[in-house]
Amino acid sequence: MSGSLKKAREPWFAVRRELSPQRSSVLTIVSFALPLLIWAAVSYLPFLWHPDVQLQLSANRADVSTVYVAGDRVSKSYFPEFQEAVRSQNEDLKKQLSSDDPLAGASESSVRRANKKVLRHLVPLLIQNKWIKDDQATDDEAIYHAWGELASSSRRLKSPSLSEENLAIVEDNWKAMSAIAPNYVSDNFVSTPLLSLIPQGKTSNPDYLPAPDQVLAAGVKVFSIPADGDRPSMVQRIGHSLQIVFGGFCLAALVGVPIGVVCGTYPFFSRLVEPFTDFFRYMPAPTFSTLLVAIFLANDAPKIALVFVGTFFQLVLVTANTTRRLDMPLLEAAQTLGASQRQLLTRVVVPGILPNLYDDLRILLGWAWTWLVIAELVGVKSGLTEFIETQGRFRNFDMVFPIIILIGLIGFFTDQILSLIKGLVFPYTEDGTKAASHPILKAVLFIPRLVLRLLTNRSASGTT
Amino acid sequence: MTPPTDILDYRTQSPEVSARFSKLKERPVVLSVKNLTKIFPSQNGDVTALNSIDFEVYRREFMCVIGPSGCGKSTLIRILAGLESETSGAVLLDGNPVAGPGPDRGMVFQSYTLFPWLTVKQNVLFGPKMAGQKGATVESEARQWIEMVGLSKFENSYPHQLSGGMKQRVAIARALANRPRILLMDEPFGALDAQTRCQMQSYLLKIWKNLDITILFITHDLDEATYLSDRILVLKANPGEVDEIIEVPVPRPRTVDQFVSPEFIATKHRIDELIHPKNKGGDDELHFPRMTKEGDDVE
Ligand SMILES: Nc1ncnc2c1ncn2[C@@H]1O[C@H](COP(=O)(O)OP(=O)(O)OP(=O)(O)O)[C@@H](O)[C@H]1O
Ligand SMILES: [Mg+2]
Repeated sequence: MSGSLKKAREPWFAVRRELSPQRSSVLTIVSFALPLLIWAAVSYLPFLWHPDVQLQLSANRADVSTVYVAGDRVSKSYFPEFQEAVRSQNEDLKKQLSSDDPLAGASESSVRRANKKVLRHLVPLLIQNKWIKDDQATDDEAIYHAWGELASSSRRLKSPSLSEENLAIVEDNWKAMSAIAPNYVSDNFVSTPLLSLIPQGKTSNPDYLPAPDQVLAAGVKVFSIPADGDRPSMVQRIGHSLQIVFGGFCLAALVGVPIGVVCGTYPFFSRLVEPFTDFFRYMPAPTFSTLLVAIFLANDAPKIALVFVGTFFQLVLVTANTTRRLDMPLLEAAQTLGASQRQLLTRVVVPGILPNLYDDLRILLGWAWTWLVIAELVGVKSGLTEFIETQGRFRNFDMVFPIIILIGLIGFFTDQILSLIKGLVFPYTEDGTKAASHPILKAVLFIPRLVLRLLTNRSASGTT
Repeated sequence: MTPPTDILDYRTQSPEVSARFSKLKERPVVLSVKNLTKIFPSQNGDVTALNSIDFEVYRREFMCVIGPSGCGKSTLIRILAGLESETSGAVLLDGNPVAGPGPDRGMVFQSYTLFPWLTVKQNVLFGPKMAGQKGATVESEARQWIEMVGLSKFENSYPHQLSGGMKQRVAIARALANRPRILLMDEPFGALDAQTRCQMQSYLLKIWKNLDITILFITHDLDEATYLSDRILVLKANPGEVDEIIEVPVPRPRTVDQFVSPEFIATKHRIDELIHPKNKGGDDELHFPRMTKEGDDVE
């Protein structure tokens, strides 16, 4: 009998049916995990996208003026063509070497110079394999030694490794080099042309989509750069950006909320103020940037002014609407209880709209954030945006991503915190009852509540 | 509803009942409505919501206003409260014309109008505070009002923590805390379930009995009107006019048992006759296709 009473499984998809708390939390986690997973998949699974080849080892092409260095990306279709061109260049060179005129009319010194370049093409691989240090990129003696070791097979490059083809070229070249001198001597350097190494590379995404680990590493690096001279540290930059967003927003709220409330309360002011405000908000704030610089001159003033212009007009209209949405019966009830016109405004309208106004301001703070980047480009570039701009120009997109994500996180967490504490500010709303039992808030508020209870107890016992 | 044929017409009153009503009419008039007309102008012609309404309410009387939907009950009470202005006519409170809303006329609305940001006690204190009264005596008085409606335990609760019936009790306490001359109530129990409504009616009668208060109460519930009222003002629609003022012969104090007494039924029948005059025809008037099979009836 009890078997037939099995509880029906709740469906995952039902129109407007609330999910259980567990399911909600799972979905919240998935909502963040999913984009991360897609990003990681596209970054680490080469068959998904990877339209480019990132060079681990480059070479000079005599017939093309463009120079690629290790680390550069070339398209997948160009890469084989590049390799082929260098190979045929080597074939020509071999023919030339076995001919009567191995130098083909070039001076010995110019051939030496070209040979030293060939030698150094191995440098990025050597550095990555930790054979030489970062600052030894022009240490020809060490590089020469490495060539010798490679040719004699006493050591092997592991990651990235050297292709068989290139190993053969190294050996060929080393024969010519070691015939002149076993160690590097600047004046006594091989003067017959050396074969060029063939380009090597691995497939990769374009530089504008760095992999998660690269972004993470860059993020750590970005935050550990100390301030120096007129280059602020990242923490100082964040502080500066926050100052502009909150400065502009608070000013707009300080001026805009009273105007909005008055407009929502008195049709006289609504008619007088709102039509023009409505028109003004359609003028995009960035178009005022040059004007604002002319008015407020340099530094932060025009930036804050831009955030102000971008938020203020919207804020007045939203506040006015929220004020108008206040239940009319509340105002009527207050009147039958003897409230005067002034009391209606101060004792009913203002307290009545506060919870909704709080939500409005939260949304408008989000708006203010969107103006940040444009504001920081006004006048002298500053803050986080200046960093993004500079790094972006050098195509250091792995440095740009941490900052973009950071701005998102600051905005997101500000909003989350504001929504969490709404219940504390307004204990009489639905959020208030929720907040009272919220585990995080309970934990955070434990100490202050305890202190408050002790204080009230003492004053109570003091009076009796 | 067909009345039992042997029931007495409520108008053939016993000597005790007539004596009661002549005594009522000797009391001073608290509210008098004179030739009150309200016209709402609108694009497709003016709407006459109320047409020359005349009536008086005596001190400590409980009067109900009943009538078909749209006959202007709410409009009438809103004019009395001062929330709407009359087109012509006059409203006198203790002989003085009223202009605009004021604390001398308390009002309880059908919708919940407690201030959500104030606790129960603060809500009750709202009126006195607007009048600039504060201090310990005002506070203890507020507590008394709350106790009277049986909500002492909830004086520090916020409205969203209360049930519908509790909210309306607070609204009554809040209106009474202003010591109004008359309490105006517009279907205050309309949103409550039948049981709670019944409880609230008994509550209200108790409060009314113990206070020097006159009540004008709007309802569309025949039982409610008969149970509560001394007299019932029946309005008719299009335009809203006074149809009849019924003097309820049911003796006080009222109990729920009286719901089946002949006077009670006779009064209800009379109101029903007035506000649903067409329904007398019975089943013949229904033009509704049969949707069930012959022989499938329950009887
Ligand atoms: N503000 C207004 N503007 C125009 N017409 C109105 C307005 N208020 C009420 N009316 C009209 O006046 C008439 C009476 O309305 P009222 O709300 O007073 O009726 P009521 O008796 O309270 O009805 P119900 O029992 O449904 O509450 C209706 O015909 C209505 O359409
Ligand atoms: Mg109504």
